[in-house]
Amino acid sequence: MIPSSGKIYEKDRMTAQERLDAVIRLERPDRVPLSMMLYYYGPFHAGVKMSDYMTKPKVYMQTMRTVYEDIGPWDIYYNINPVSRLMYSFTMMMRYLYPGKELPDDVMSQVDEIEYMQPEDYDWIFDTNSKYVDFLFRARMIPRFCKDGEKLGTVSLWLKLAMGLLQQKLFWKRDWKWWRARGMVIQIGYQAEMPFDMFSQARTVVPFSLDIYQRPEKIRDAALKLAPSFAESSIQTARFMGVPRIQCYLHRTSNDFISPQTFEDLAFPGMELIINRIIDAGLTPILHCDGNWTKNLKILRRLPAKKIILQLDGLTDIFQAKKEIGDHMCLFGDVPAEKLALGSSQEVEEYCHRLIEEVGKDGGFILAGACEIPYNAKSENLRAMVEANYKYGYYDE
Amino acid sequence: MDELAKFREIFLSFKIDSIEAEMEKLLESGVSAQDLLAACQKCMEEIGKKFELGEYFLPELVIAGEMFKKVSSRLRPILTATDKESVGKIVLGTPKGDRHHLGKDVFSILAEASGFDVYDLGVDVAPETFISKLEETGAQILGMSVLITTAFVPMQDVMRLLEETGLRKRINVIIGGGVTTKDMIQRLGVDAQTRDAYEGIKIIQSFMIQREEME
Repeated sequence: MIPSSGKIYEKDRMTAQERLDAVIRLERPDRVPLSMMLYYYGPFHAGVKMSDYMTKPKVYMQTMRTVYEDIGPWDIYYNINPVSRLMYSFTMMMRYLYPGKELPDDVMSQVDEIEYMQPEDYDWIFDTNSKYVDFLFRARMIPRFCKDGEKLGTVSLWLKLAMGLLQQKLFWKRDWKWWRARGMVIQIGYQAEMPFDMFSQARTVVPFSLDIYQRPEKIRDAALKLAPSFAESSIQTARFMGVPRIQCYLHRTSNDFISPQTFEDLAFPGMELIINRIIDAGLTPILHCDGNWTKNLKILRRLPAKKIILQLDGLTDIFQAKKEIGDHMCLFGDVPAEKLALGSSQEVEEYCHRLIEEVGKDGGFILAGACEIPYNAKSENLRAMVEANYKYGYYDE
Repeated sequence: MDELAKFREIFLSFKIDSIEAEMEKLLESGVSAQDLLAACQKCMEEIGKKFELGEYFLPELVIAGEMFKKVSSRLRPILTATDKESVGKIVLGTPKGDRHHLGKDVFSILAEASGFDVYDLGVDVAPETFISKLEETGAQILGMSVLITTAFVPMQDVMRLLEETGLRKRINVIIGGGVTTKDMIQRLGVDAQTRDAYEGIKIIQSFMIQREEME
């Protein structure tokens, strides 16, 4: 049922937008906001083919609405479905294998890590003097790894990307209307893999590990060279989409991949420039931090306070993170995938309760899954998350 | 001066481009393949310890692993059967539905460097394939690595098949990967779980020690 007030629950004292804004500023809202970060779960819940869900926008739209009506409500709509694999590849810079194409119809898409970038491509970045160098670099790489971009010439690729952006905008416009009518706030205006992480994936782990030893300055300087262009295109795209938040993917910057020193020396300079520009433009960066970031948190404190959302995926101890950086950034997470898929609803409720009490203490917290909700989560466990949020999530007036 | 000192210095400073030339020089000068492999394993152990202490991270483990692969692939054919002392056998793979391989690959190299015979089945491995490889090789350990929850059901299937075939009594099972937790030891009925490849090596070494003690 949709409350007439535009609020999620009748007893709410704030709208979802006010709630989200408050937690970003590290203030105490009326209730802990909930974002389900739910994508792959949709088709398994609704009984539709994953291949249709990922390639037919109407199927995606209907599936997500079915899930919301069965399990919701929540506050923040995780809008991730791309209109095409080409667009998805352009932002994430990974080679995706798709259900119904390279994979069976009913499985999740998977990343096939291939080495598509060579050491001389760092030099290409230095030699390219354009304010659109990040865009140009991505367009240069796409035919090397994206199955839908393999045979495209430069002009057709650019045209397809421009068309894709427009289609995405039109698709979101239709889709968001429904979610906003339910009082929800849209999570992402734009999303992209950050330059250092893009290099790590494009080179793959062994060659990139060698790059860290053999050409560290090139990694740092190339990431720095892409940073202004990355920031600018992210800001412009998010404005075009009409959502002032940019999800910045940091899949390869955790201490599971690199040392805190490498993070500080090679990854952070480019990242810092991007984050500062996004904030200066009045937008909110959402740092999607996969892996264990514990030893990087101290360095993250150099970024502006009360302007950033830090998404943790369960591998960083979020309770420790609350102590180390909870007075500086809004924390987002982290009900483990394993609990949602294999655990009981009581376990999920208890974990959510603990998150709300400890990480949500005095605000600055968004309750969510650890990274994405797993495709095989039990529906009763997702309901337990929603119910725990309602039961324990309200702050005293 | 110790004739292997330079080899060790190259290895421990991760100069991967120089390791093969130094190895060839030493082989020509009469250093035995067994001594070279032992030196290599000692270096891997040292790097592993620094990883454990938090002084080294994945890049160091990965480069060391690559150097080890280069050295061992050259030395294995010239090692005699008695030189190739195996500390145990492990069947390894990423279960069906998951194609991630990074963690498994790092673990595989470390296990080999620690003297294990490794039977790496790759990614997207069917439960029955794990079982038949365990039967064929007589391996004492099964390792499954996952990064997405898709692989949970196939892991449960593997555990069921291990029980049904009676293999479970003689096989230690370790699972690893970003999405696994300690809770899964009980949920799946495995013996150990880790998210850290080096810790995984310590665990499988402890399995072998326990077996020796029981014999």
